[in-house]
Amino acid sequence: MNEIGTWFTALVTLAIYSFLYRDNPFYKAAEYLLLGLTIGYSLVVSIKTVLWPGLVLPLASGEAAKIIPLLLGGMMFIRLFPGLKTWSRIPLAVYVGAGAGVSIPAMLKARVLQQIGATTANVTSLSGIIMLIGVITTILYFYFSREHKGILRPAAKIGTYYMMIFFGATFGYTVMSRVTLLIGRVEFLLGDWLRVITP
Amino acid sequence: MNIDRRIIFVIVALAVAIPLVVPLDLPVAVTDETRAVYDRLEMLDSGSVVLVSFDHEASSLPEVRPLAEAIVNHCFMRKARVIGLALFAEGTAVGYDILNDIAAQQGKVYGHDYVYLGYRPQYTAAILGMGESIREVFPTDYDETPWEEIPLLQGVHNYDDIDLVISVADGSLPTYWVEYAQARYGQEVIAVLTAVMVTAYTPYVDAGQISGILGGLKGAAEYEKLIDRPAAGKRGMDAQALTHLAIAVMIVVGNVIAFGARRKKKTAVAGEHAV
Repeated sequence: MNEIGTWFTALVTLAIYSFLYRDNPFYKAAEYLLLGLTIGYSLVVSIKTVLWPGLVLPLASGEAAKIIPLLLGGMMFIRLFPGLKTWSRIPLAVYVGAGAGVSIPAMLKARVLQQIGATTANVTSLSGIIMLIGVITTILYFYFSREHKGILRPAAKIGTYYMMIFFGATFGYTVMSRVTLLIGRVEFLLGDWLRVITP
Repeated sequence: MNIDRRIIFVIVALAVAIPLVVPLDLPVAVTDETRAVYDRLEMLDSGSVVLVSFDHEASSLPEVRPLAEAIVNHCFMRKARVIGLALFAEGTAVGYDILNDIAAQQGKVYGHDYVYLGYRPQYTAAILGMGESIREVFPTDYDETPWEEIPLLQGVHNYDDIDLVISVADGSLPTYWVEYAQARYGQEVIAVLTAVMVTAYTPYVDAGQISGILGGLKGAAEYEKLIDRPAAGKRGMDAQALTHLAIAVMIVVGNVIAFGARRKKKTAVAGEHAV
């Protein structure tokens, strides 16, 4: 990275971290810059790698079938005209219908059936039994059609302990993730910018 | 007792910065999860085809880059051919840079040892489409070189010709690889994840739907140790360990102070009642 780029990145990084002291215009400017860059970059990548080679060039070479996605995509923007916005429901209906048709069987198989299969397959081992109890009691916690009384009460209580273990583990990993982001920035500031350390 | 939260920020900043300036060289123990991923990649034959999908945003780069570099390094060490692609727009340039950097370090040739196909939106459609024909989804590579002019891609049609899919992700994309590539086409998938995603994907490993997980900076440090190429993961783990220690100490101290204050208050209330 050239010197100007390094300095600019360092100053924007410091502007973002200045929020830790208190909200200020430098933080706001850096935040808006990040949003603008993210949207701009995604737009350019989408045009360069998707719309241009996948739509514009085929249309220019006479591929008439590409008119269908062009029309459906264009109809999405009809929402901007209140009098005509009913038409925008057509591409949405196609999108939702196709999406549901594709995803429901796949989700059912991967997230439900295969997971149930794996949960019940190892009930001969201690860990398998612990896991099965965890799954059943956690599901019982979310069973709200009956008041949590009698056997349901202790079962749901056990379920909450399982969930607490999950939340604790997830929180620990989240701390690790966020600290890693901080390490990345500090490494950049001390290495690439101030050259106190070798990056 | 109220402490200005900015004091905590300074403590955390020091806990991160000091080990980076003065490395502690703390040992890194390799976990079974990381070793399982390493062992799977060790089983790759020379010429195997590995598809590495960069399914992340730029904001997670400090965590994703060490992980991706370690895993791509190992793929090249095994003489596997690597096909890179991105299903998140922001991951596109990142993936391209990582592949080119590691390939240059290992003397790999573009088009023969590795190729980068670029970005496709609508990941569901892209993953499903590649099950039928990868060429239909990516007719050219990232530099717009036509498929038929890239030697590596000749003979690669769909998942039948891919030995392993590695999803480098900071979100839910590995779920879609499981649902559409693994469950539907039987494609073997490994997830390389930011730490925050690890607990969500462990059940998929237990169920055999994902062959292994490599997670977080610690996962990167462990993998670097296994392939004997210490890099950003190893460097960051000293700071990571010291920061965790600082946070744990602050939690304990905070709780001791809070319990002490509560006890003092109870004693005072009991004293008032006695009077």
